[in-house]
Amino acid sequence: MAAVKTLNPKAEVARAQAALAVNISAARGLQDVLRTNLGPKGTMKMLVSGAGDIKLTKDGNVLLHEMQIQHPTASLIAKVATAQDDITGDGTTSNVLIIGELLKQADLYISEGLHPRIITEGFEAAKEKALQFLEQIKVSKEMDRQTLIDVARTSLHTKVHAELADVLTEAVVDSILAIKKQDEPIDLFMVEIMEMKHKSETDTSLIRGLVLDHGARHPDMKKRVEDAYILTCNVSLEYEKTEVNSGFFYKSAEEREKLVKAERKFIEDRVNKIIELKKKVCGDSNKGFVVINQKGIDPFSLDALAKEGIVALRRAKRRNMERLTLACGGVALNSLDDLNADCLGRAGLVYEYTLGEEKFTFIEKCNNPRSVTLLIKGPNKHTLTQIKDAIRDGLRAVKNAIDDGEILTLAGPSLESKRLLMRYSLFPRCEYFNSHIIFCFCEVNINSTVLAQNSGFDLQETLVKVQAEHAESGQLVGVDLNTGEPMVAAEAGIWDNYCVKKQLLHSCTVIATNILLVDEIMRAGMSSLKG
Amino acid sequence: MAGGAREVVTLQLGHFAGFVGAHWWNQQDAALVRPADGKEPPGELCPDVLYRTGRTVHGQDTYTPRLILMDLKGSLSSLKQEGGLYRDKQLDAAIAWQGKLTTHKEELCPKNPYLQTLGSAEGVLSSDGVWRVKSIPNGKEGSIRVWSDFLRVHLHPRSICMIQKYNHDGETGRLEAFGQGESILKEPGYLEELEDRLHFYVEECDYLQGFQILCDLHDGFSGVAAKTAELLQDEYSGRGVIAWGLLPAPYSLGEPQKNIYRLLNTAFGLVHLAAHSSLVCPLSLGGSLGLRPEPPVTFPHLHYDATLPFHCSAILATALDTITVPYRLRSSPVSMVHLADMLSFSGKKVVTAGATIPFPSGQSLPDTLVQLGGATPWIPLSACGDPSGACCFAQSVVLRGLDRACHTSQLTPGTPLPSPLHACATGEEVLAQYLQQQQPRALSSSHLLLTPCKVAPPYPHLFSSLSQQGLFLDGPPTRAAAESIPVFGALCSSSSLHQTLGGLARELTKLDLRRWASFMAAGVEQDDLEEMLQELYSLAQCYQDGSGLMD
Repeated sequence: MAAVKTLNPKAEVARAQAALAVNISAARGLQDVLRTNLGPKGTMKMLVSGAGDIKLTKDGNVLLHEMQIQHPTASLIAKVATAQDDITGDGTTSNVLIIGELLKQADLYISEGLHPRIITEGFEAAKEKALQFLEQIKVSKEMDRQTLIDVARTSLHTKVHAELADVLTEAVVDSILAIKKQDEPIDLFMVEIMEMKHKSETDTSLIRGLVLDHGARHPDMKKRVEDAYILTCNVSLEYEKTEVNSGFFYKSAEEREKLVKAERKFIEDRVNKIIELKKKVCGDSNKGFVVINQKGIDPFSLDALAKEGIVALRRAKRRNMERLTLACGGVALNSLDDLNADCLGRAGLVYEYTLGEEKFTFIEKCNNPRSVTLLIKGPNKHTLTQIKDAIRDGLRAVKNAIDDGEILTLAGPSLESKRLLMRYSLFPRCEYFNSHIIFCFCEVNINSTVLAQNSGFDLQETLVKVQAEHAESGQLVGVDLNTGEPMVAAEAGIWDNYCVKKQLLHSCTVIATNILLVDEIMRAGMSSLKG
Repeated sequence: MAGGAREVVTLQLGHFAGFVGAHWWNQQDAALVRPADGKEPPGELCPDVLYRTGRTVHGQDTYTPRLILMDLKGSLSSLKQEGGLYRDKQLDAAIAWQGKLTTHKEELCPKNPYLQTLGSAEGVLSSDGVWRVKSIPNGKEGSIRVWSDFLRVHLHPRSICMIQKYNHDGETGRLEAFGQGESILKEPGYLEELEDRLHFYVEECDYLQGFQILCDLHDGFSGVAAKTAELLQDEYSGRGVIAWGLLPAPYSLGEPQKNIYRLLNTAFGLVHLAAHSSLVCPLSLGGSLGLRPEPPVTFPHLHYDATLPFHCSAILATALDTITVPYRLRSSPVSMVHLADMLSFSGKKVVTAGATIPFPSGQSLPDTLVQLGGATPWIPLSACGDPSGACCFAQSVVLRGLDRACHTSQLTPGTPLPSPLHACATGEEVLAQYLQQQQPRALSSSHLLLTPCKVAPPYPHLFSSLSQQGLFLDGPPTRAAAESIPVFGALCSSSSLHQTLGGLARELTKLDLRRWASFMAAGVEQDDLEEMLQELYSLAQCYQDGSGLMD
């Protein structure tokens, strides 16, 4: 009888073996859900809500966010796994699988009478060894385009189908290379991701410039201008009540009109300033002039600008202001006082594209853009979301590779339709070491077996083949998921992030240890704010 | 402002806000339909203020609410997140994957009968050009669990924004505390989502006048609303932001934790909204904001079940539909900013609402008003206690749905006038004079409209003793439900708020907050709490009545 029962008779308590059983079953339940996802040959999952909304995903991170996990232990594991994604952008599924596998192995030993504490020490020792191993096999390479493409491909092939993955791979790597500055950390924020519900998913492309999801609001403005000056500003061009809390005081309607006119004049002056500048820089040439304003522009001002052949976009998003100046050059102005030709950016081509009620403005052909746009296309919402998730992960993978400067060839779950592989272990399944048990780091075991399973190969046969190959060549060997034959991962261009794997080893050991050491589960008291 | 409507963007944050919003949009939708008998409606209200015109990819024109709505995972039931208007069945089926596919289907939510009629008539009106909606039979109203069960308006695909992080029902993962709500909009993902949607609606407005936020005050959505108001203030300065803080009426004493949380959320919500918006108005059918519940307010001629959110929200939506009239008028509207300025001078940003639903309409307006005598003519809807005896600083009053013939007294010339009201030549004058009598020191503005409030189904059947036009019947209740009613509504900044807000602050000061550590764990710190209490006290101080220095 647990002490808590005397205090609260409603409390539920599970102890020792029972507690462990609860936890292990939760971990394995989660593992069962996610195991079919792993690798490029994994199964896509379609989630259909009660109302018929579709979500299509293969990404462990997305799945865990979508599921309503009620079991506290399962939700703990899910949180760790998704935290891994937050930090490194990858490895959610592997995390869940490894925790599940570690606990499964531990369960065997515990049922033989071993104390959980000894097993956790084994975990710890194994982690150390695995990290050492990781240090050994990591490869420091110069991150040229080809290497980065390999890394991105390894990541993307596990998320979307091969044809699309190839399209995305190039786009993702080129976008990072465009925004990358020497010796400065990469700011992924400078890659705008824009969705367009149009055509098919393989039309997704990289725009070396910016795409805004709004257009000019005046019928007379040009839909296409070439060789344009871009004025980026954050200045109100609409008549509105002054921001200070003040009212108009007037005696008659005429007086009110007069006041309103005076206020309008203020705005007109601003518009005229822009028009003057346009005349100055463009002269009689054919050059275009585009104003992109973060604040509003009212119809009167639009009209005045349109008459002068200026294209004006209002209410640009705040986050696009910085990107605009990076893409086109120039300075974003907060007041028109210091307006001069130096503040203007340039773009070779600005055009508008209308899709139903939505308008898109493309700003392209910029000189040396430091901010670019990945334009996602797809026939429907769920495809767009799927690609967006994949692109996020791809960007992270490339960024990690550049930041680390080191990559691994132990592509866990990976790659390319033709030559898909998995490395096989260096550790034997488990070994006794000074009376401690060291579990093998079963990223190896579990991942390769699951991968082989997902691709429809015989488990034992594949494992034996891979082991033999490894013994022979002394190199890191994986499985080709198309043929089931062993192959050398590095030669196939399968590279994975070093930091992801390192993080993975750390977090799954800690969680598995924690869960294993739980010997009592209590549920009592107020049910609130949990989970 | 010349040309074009002065657009308003509506935000609905939370589930009860969804309920009120669904009723509100149903009422707006009913008002759009021209009556079949050829009588042109007066057209005093401009629907373009709230609605936008759009066009689907297939070139079909649409007219949808300019609305952003946030709710939690699992609250939509049978409503599709993207709505039905912009769908393309063929394209939706396309899947970008050639490998294996497993499908996990949730059980299909059964559609309510009203939604079925909406679904079958998708995009097409029935032959006579009028939507026919079955009314919801009495007694079955308990079956309405979520607001989408009775929403009969098509929404734009950008309207609905789901918060996947928290669950709508179930025991775990609830959005319970102010801090949790605030932190949702600190996440870049949700923030970007909200900004994008706002941008979509705002960018196409020529003369945006502001935003109205309908939000739940009792749960974590008060935090979401506070953050949203802050964002709007930052991004669109100079625009009006009017926040309607909604509280579902009954709260049981049985769950002390819920009650305390409600109190904390409400207080935090009110203070933060007051700081970041132009005007805040709590709306509730409950008797008080405090810890001890008071019986819900009662209306003569109106029977409702205070435990049903379906009923409560209908009443609040009707009141809202009336008191928001000033900034939705077609001709010479009072803009949100002006309305807020008028009511909120010297920091009195919190106002109370009241309404008479339905307004008695059997006799002429002067007669009715005289009969009311000195009592406050409307029922308070802000859970701020009894307004009688309280002093009112400023008010904006709207009376709608009375026949023009009833506006002035129809006494034969020569008869002695029972009151000065009977001498007025127009209804507007009657109303203005009445307000002047009632609150001689208050700054009043009044509007008199012919357009009644629509209460056609799926509005619940609350008015048993009214005829179809909303007139009182002496005989037994008829079968036919009333379809429109006259309503008298008011927004006022009254000195009763001094008591209410002060009381709220005192109650919170007495609480030992260490017992509710979980509230603090969700991102609110002790200092925040003390600061909030200080602000609440000083807010209450603004409403100090010059004459009554009782405490």
